Amino acid sequence: MTAPVPELDPVIHAQARLRVVAALSVLREGDQMAFPRLQELLGLTGGNLSVHLRKLEDAEYIVVTKTHHGRTPTTLLCLSRRGRLAFDEYTAALRALLDPAGSEETP
Amino acid sequence: MSKDEAAPVSAAESLRLIEAQRDAAVRSLSPDPRLIYWPWGLAWLIGFGLLFLRHGPHERVRVNMPNELPLATLFALMIIAFLVSGVAGARANRQISGDSSLRGLRYGLSWLAGFAGNAVICAHFSNLLPPPEVGLLWSATSVGLVGVLYLAGSATWQSRDLFVLGIWLTISNIAGVLAGPGWHSLVISVAGGGGLLVAGFVVWLRWRHHP
Repeated sequence: MTAPVPELDPVIHAQARLRVVAALSVLREGDQMAFPRLQELLGLTGGNLSVHLRKLEDAEYIVVTKTHHGRTPTTLLCLSRRGRLAFDEYTAALRALLDPAGSEETP
Repeated sequence: MSKDEAAPVSAAESLRLIEAQRDAAVRSLSPDPRLIYWPWGLAWLIGFGLLFLRHGPHERVRVNMPNELPLATLFALMIIAFLVSGVAGARANRQISGDSSLRGLRYGLSWLAGFAGNAVICAHFSNLLPPPEVGLLWSATSVGLVGVLYLAGSATWQSRDLFVLGIWLTISNIAGVLAGPGWHSLVISVAGGGGLLVAGFVVWLRWRHHP
């Protein structure tokens, strides 16, 4: 007997992007994190992080704001409403995979 | 396919990865509670403790020391506490912008406004009162203000810990004032300073094991 496997979001279902989204999900609503801080938190190289951020931005899961802090260009990042929803659905799907019976009872 | 692009091996591993990353982010984005609470707790415990020993109830001197030493110690320790907790908070919030920054700025300005107003009021009445009552006036209004600002902070940051601490300090302060000059210092040293130390420990335990 095989349990029905919920479809997992391919945008998030890659380790690096999953970690990006998980880290940004901790920010309070209305807050943004600058690129270097996120890079430091994840321990990724700048180029690598940029590639993953591009994919998340293309999927409209994150909002990227380019601004200036004095004369230094700064990139600010946060989850979009859509991204937060996708992350919530992804974690819910994982829980359903691990405990298919339990998840049916919870609304 | 690079390791980054690879999907986690299993759903369980995926969930673990999410939780580990969220834990790390929470611990990075909120300062170590010990650095926020303990310097203030020690300042009150030691500073008000010395005030009680030098300027006790009924102007009794329990331990002989220079008249100004307790207050000088209290202020010096409070400056250190301000610096330690300020640096810890700023480090946690570095490169974070948005609504939280504005909230933090306004909360900080509330402290400044509160203590500026309080100092003017206390200075105005200080010449009219005998020395023990002057000491009580300054410390009771200051501690009362701290309690209320913690309560306001609990509403701003949705923090139950700050609410409990604010209520505790307010009750301790009222009890100290009713007990009178000298006793107030003892109550604030033990219940106030001790309360801050306990609060720092409790919040730290939760921060360390963030779910």
